Amino acid sequence: MIKLILKKLSITFIAISFTVISSVASAEITITWPSIWVGKDSKTTVIGELIDEFNAANAGSIKVVVEEQTDYDIYAQKLTAQIATGDLPDIMTVGAQLLDVLHRSGKAMDLAPHINSDSHWNNVYPENALQSAMTDGVLSALPYELFVTPVTYNKKILKDAGYDEFPDNYDDFFKMCEAITANGKVCTSQMTGKNGWTSMLWYSQALASAGGPDIYEKGLDHPAYVKAFEVMEKMYQYTTSDAVGADAGVSGGHFLNERTAVFMNGPWFIARYTSDGIPGLHENIGVAAAPMLMGGEGSPGGYVGGRQSSLAAGKQSDPAKEEAIVKFLKWLTIPENVARLSYSSGAMFIVNADLPNDMDRLFIEMKQGISDAPYVAPIFQNGIGSLAVASEFPQALSALAIGDVTPEGAVEMLQDAE
Amino acid sequence: MKIKKDEVGWLLLFILPTLILFTLFFILPILFLLVSSFTNWDGIDAEFVGFENYIKLFNKKSFVRAITNNLYWCITAALITVPLGLIIALLLSHRSRGWKVFRTVLFVPQVVSSAAIAMLWAAVFNAEYGLLNFILDNIGLSNYKNHNWLGNVRTANAALIGFSLCYVGYFMVIMLAKTASISEDYYDAAKIDGASQIQKDFYITAPLIKSTFFLCIILAVIFNLRQFEYVYLMTAGGPANKTQVLVVYIWNELTVQRLGRGSAAGVIMIALGAMLLLILRRTLKSETYN
Repeated sequence: MIKLILKKLSITFIAISFTVISSVASAEITITWPSIWVGKDSKTTVIGELIDEFNAANAGSIKVVVEEQTDYDIYAQKLTAQIATGDLPDIMTVGAQLLDVLHRSGKAMDLAPHINSDSHWNNVYPENALQSAMTDGVLSALPYELFVTPVTYNKKILKDAGYDEFPDNYDDFFKMCEAITANGKVCTSQMTGKNGWTSMLWYSQALASAGGPDIYEKGLDHPAYVKAFEVMEKMYQYTTSDAVGADAGVSGGHFLNERTAVFMNGPWFIARYTSDGIPGLHENIGVAAAPMLMGGEGSPGGYVGGRQSSLAAGKQSDPAKEEAIVKFLKWLTIPENVARLSYSSGAMFIVNADLPNDMDRLFIEMKQGISDAPYVAPIFQNGIGSLAVASEFPQALSALAIGDVTPEGAVEMLQDAE
Repeated sequence: MKIKKDEVGWLLLFILPTLILFTLFFILPILFLLVSSFTNWDGIDAEFVGFENYIKLFNKKSFVRAITNNLYWCITAALITVPLGLIIALLLSHRSRGWKVFRTVLFVPQVVSSAAIAMLWAAVFNAEYGLLNFILDNIGLSNYKNHNWLGNVRTANAALIGFSLCYVGYFMVIMLAKTASISEDYYDAAKIDGASQIQKDFYITAPLIKSTFFLCIILAVIFNLRQFEYVYLMTAGGPANKTQVLVVYIWNELTVQRLGRGSAAGVIMIALGAMLLLILRRTLKSETYN
């Protein structure tokens, strides 16, 4: 009887062992990617296609699963918390302001060893692009998306107000705003909600114009910070009544619906002028460098921008999963795939990709603008080097916009946050 | 009740699981919060900084504003929302025609996601296309045509706290449930004595649900001290930090990697909550717990 029981138990044990071993052997590696390139984002379609194609090509062995993150600001906050807790996702899209924290945490996968493992990344990235992204020989994030933020304006609204060209200095710019207001339209799209993105871009332009491209090295005491807030104070006299508290959706929505004449955002917004703008909007849009502050230390035609999103991965204990993640990151950086992404969204990437000849007119104009620009200064959020100051910016700006503080007071709020 | 000696072992055995869970999820995190509040922990490195975080916090106008705003939320809830809930509970306790419909409608906000409600109200208050401005404009108040309710210092707090009144249904349901437990004998006796409905409400119902009313005040204060989602989603503490509340403030500190200072703000919040509860318990002790 005991022998029979032992025999049956042994058979069961062997059967279970085989099942476990075979299931482990055939286990599919699942890579989770909380992605911001979903929903209304201009990269959604092609990113979705790239993931589907990757999953199909690696069916049964690797599967990339996207967790949709539709709010960029909340995504960044979530990542900050995850970096602190050490609970990083498999793949993440990291903004420039989090790169330092991510590196210091030591919780990101070091991609440097994979650069030398084969020639892919050395071939597709411009010379030194990867080396300059390393800190102490560690590559915590793969530089991916680039951006510049020139002014985009509605040529039809400007023409109706008597302007054929975009003004090159703020004195003329505000005269133009006066004329546009008299014509029953609103001059600029602004916002103070979330990270104050589109207004922060204007502030960055004014700041670089007043203090030069190296303004962030001069400290918050430099008068350029006050001068740039003076520009913003005036800018808020020519914006929509919901600008204080508005988010990027509201700010962009006004321009897309031709309620406002002037708007500032990155090249990734180009596709949305067609997909979400009122009919004919795209044809009416012009691209220009931001106006200059008379007597400032900046140069005419100067742009702001820099490195936008980088791709990073959480440290892995399983070498197979690490390989799978690297394989997917390589897939995202194949020049043909990057070209598809750029073509569909208008976004710019660091990877060398042969772009089609029929790229969007606005994309070409922006690219030309970069070539002609004497400099591309960092945006305030990335250049200031303090998450606390960048986070206080929308509050300081809203205080200024509602007349609660003077431009000097707004700078004091930033200094206080430091 | 006296506990026999041989029952102590069993008692401890039954309490132990709760005690372990309570220690794991409440006591230890609070201790951790307390310790980290004396450091400059940024999520990666930490050094002991003594009371520096506390000193910096109390020197920050936005932090003091957050405490003040939280107190506004609590006072509004205690003096307006809960009494309003009491009045509605008294009216519905008459079981007049359609009372169940009213009860359900007033309770609906409790079962809807607070994020959805916040987004809905943000749209209602919007300056350009908001429903509120549209109505005001159509009834002749054209001065408010483009008024930015949530972006104006004078109206942002009022708009935020004002809309929270729709949560009156929660307290109404609690007090209404209590009225159901009052013996009909009291009302019959009052009827014989010729009492009117208002007299019955004031002299029978209200005193008998007093303990529940005070419990609702305590609950309202606790809820409003933890106020987060409406402020975060509708104003994020702006404009100019005028609508800032403690939890949003703590969240902001955490997202800029100042976890030590965020912990200090958390400790202050716990202390404030404990203080408020002690005051309320002392004031309402006889009515609430007896």
